[in-house]
Amino acid sequence: MNRLFAKKSFIIHIASFLLLPAIITCPLFAQGKSAPAASEAGNLLYIDKCGHCHGIEGAGDGDAAENLLPRPRDFTSGLYKIRSTESGNLPTDQDLFEVISNGMPGSSMPAWKGLLSEDERWSLVAQIKTYFDGFEEASRRVIDLSGKIPYSEESVAKGKTFYAELGCVECHGVLGRGDGTSAPDLTDESGFRSWPANMEHSWNFRGGSATEEIFKRFIGGIAGSPMPAFVSSFRLGLTDAESARIIALEDQDEMTEEEEAEYTQLEEKAYEYEDIMLRIEEGEEITHEEQNKLDEAMKPIFEKSWHLANYVKSLGREGRPPAAVGDKVLRSQYFVGDLPGLNDAAWSEIKEASYFPLVGQVVIEPRQFNPSIDSVTAKSYYNDNEAAFLFEWDDRTKTLPQADDETGETVEDAIAIQFPVKVPKSPSDPKPYFIWGGRRPVYLWHWKVSEPNKITEMNAKGIDKATVQASQSQMQVEGVYEDGRYRLWVKRALKTDDRNDLKFEPETFIPIAFSAWDGANGDVKTKRAISTWYSFVLDPVPSNKRFVYPPVVALISAGLLFGLRKSVRNREKLNQ
Amino acid sequence: MKTHVFTMLTLVITGMFAASAAAAGDDEAAESLVFPESYKAGSVSNGGTITGTVTFEGEAPAMKKLEITKNPEVCGVTDKFDESVVVGEGNGLKNTIIYLMDISSGAGFPKGAKVKHQIDQKGCQFNPHVNLIPVGKRLTMLNPDKIMHNVHIFSKENPPYNKSQPGSRRKMPVKAVKKAEGPVAVKCDVHGWMKAWIAYIPHPYFAVSDENGQYKLENVPPGTYKLGYWHEACGTNTESPESVTVDAGGAATKDFTLSLKN
Repeated sequence: MNRLFAKKSFIIHIASFLLLPAIITCPLFAQGKSAPAASEAGNLLYIDKCGHCHGIEGAGDGDAAENLLPRPRDFTSGLYKIRSTESGNLPTDQDLFEVISNGMPGSSMPAWKGLLSEDERWSLVAQIKTYFDGFEEASRRVIDLSGKIPYSEESVAKGKTFYAELGCVECHGVLGRGDGTSAPDLTDESGFRSWPANMEHSWNFRGGSATEEIFKRFIGGIAGSPMPAFVSSFRLGLTDAESARIIALEDQDEMTEEEEAEYTQLEEKAYEYEDIMLRIEEGEEITHEEQNKLDEAMKPIFEKSWHLANYVKSLGREGRPPAAVGDKVLRSQYFVGDLPGLNDAAWSEIKEASYFPLVGQVVIEPRQFNPSIDSVTAKSYYNDNEAAFLFEWDDRTKTLPQADDETGETVEDAIAIQFPVKVPKSPSDPKPYFIWGGRRPVYLWHWKVSEPNKITEMNAKGIDKATVQASQSQMQVEGVYEDGRYRLWVKRALKTDDRNDLKFEPETFIPIAFSAWDGANGDVKTKRAISTWYSFVLDPVPSNKRFVYPPVVALISAGLLFGLRKSVRNREKLNQ
Repeated sequence: MKTHVFTMLTLVITGMFAASAAAAGDDEAAESLVFPESYKAGSVSNGGTITGTVTFEGEAPAMKKLEITKNPEVCGVTDKFDESVVVGEGNGLKNTIIYLMDISSGAGFPKGAKVKHQIDQKGCQFNPHVNLIPVGKRLTMLNPDKIMHNVHIFSKENPPYNKSQPGSRRKMPVKAVKKAEGPVAVKCDVHGWMKAWIAYIPHPYFAVSDENGQYKLENVPPGTYKLGYWHEACGTNTESPESVTVDAGGAATKDFTLSLKN
């Protein structure tokens, strides 16, 4: 027994001796591949592929830069958003490689994976690093992902409480749509507008929407942006009860001598751990015992953070929804009786809203290169006389008419739903120009937040050639803003007396397009988000014949069967 | 789709001269202090003092009242004002840093438990507005408000710093830095109006003028020095600093009259 034990312990010793370098280096320092040395080829490739936006000397000041938001990274600042490393650290080489390869969704940074070879991308990593001296000095500490808690309803529920407690709501809003009360004023370290992420639109997360990525952004922050590192949100080394106690003591107006002593003791206990963390941040060496002690204290903090990451993950949809074409086309469903109002449960019976992606209007001056509204969704019902629509779109701010900081123009949130005046007979027939028509006019429903219960009918023959119709149809309209989302309900008669209005007829594919203005993003007039043409169709009116045909068919079949039976019997008789 | 949009953008941009998008905010790079290349701390005997008053030239601009857009129950209890120009009695200008630009040896930083580097965030305003933090010393952020703040320090020379300080953390220590720098802005993004300055200083010969515009540099080794100033709205005199001579155990005086930089 003893010998066996001794042998085992000997093996363990050997093993730990061999593993020691790995144990020391792995969790603390950069993982993944390292970039090669910078080369002239890398420099030329950089100038060719990256310089237009990032500038030929890496200062983020290429020709295209001024029209982009988020701005292209200024590599001379050493501020990197997407990192696997702790707060205050530079990214690893692998981090840079991943961003170059996969691009940054929701920004202008494209994925170079399919366009450049792996070696070429690594040469860019090397080139980028030359723009900031800090890469030579600092070792980089990677965030420990080993304690990952799997996704579960329970974990999501826990994460939700931290989401509220830790103040995520301040910027990201109650439901995570990026509409928190601090959202309108956020700027990055260069003074440019910075919007908090809309958690539902997780396909726009710059570093991807994997739970690990969410966790890294939460622990390490997004350098240069208003998103802080939350690693310091909890008191290290204290139990929840001790944390609560320290807060309770702090909230007292006065402390007795005993309480004072208790407080000092708790504070010192917490500071023991805090001190290790601070020394790491300050670039000091720490001992293994200290590292172990800190790791132990970080466990509950990481646990909570994984719950939070799971919660944020739960808010996001699985990828960007497919656009409303093909089988996703907007179908207005026939509804028996009065059409549902804005808050009617009937709307939720349509499981999937049709999704219309928007892009910035960049054809006509003034342009919108950085639209903040990226989509509109729609549902529709109709009956024998009317059609009702529910349009929804996310906007981080409710902007009533106000003077724009930059242009002085009066801006406000608005939307326009566009149809052709004359519906093309077949899908291949020409439609009006998609941006508010041209030679062929369009028919518009224009809604603005300052008059939430009104739609103005307009006709247009070009983006700046819109006229308000002299006679306005009777339309019922209700628009509301809640938790970062506009919901606009519209009801109109299928047919109106005005020949400049569109008539809605079942089974006809009607082109539809959208323009949306976010006042807080400086949208006004031609500066807006737009969609291309899509189409919608009123489903066929369910025919009464469905109540006639089936019984008839049943009767005929029954008759045939009887006939068959009879003829078989007759034959049998004949054979006998 | 994405590449498509990107290509379209590039085409349009290169094709025509487009108007400038959002201009940078009011965070244009603040002018910096000047630090000696090296500094040797030791003991000083027979040190002298430099005192003086910083005066604002002409009529002081009215302090702009800040718009409290958040947590009014905490932040809006008292009126808050933009502190970029604070003028007191006799036009004394507060929050001016007065310092020796070219001192290479002298006293070390005072030690002991009494010396606390802390910034209060009570009522959603940083106090003090201009802070001198010695290189290598930690700073404590106080949060008696019980609401979330984030401490965002716009360092350029030192690693970036931006950490959340939830309502449950009444005190939060902030790491020490290695390099002299600044002044750099400190902001709370949650409450966009909150702004202050930190200068990370390598030697103790820095002072911030008080509400009457008065400052005092103590324990200065005898000698002749360049005396610099920095003010958030009035700029610096880096190009043409004042010269001041301090005699052993003596008292020198230097007053400044500043006006808004253009």
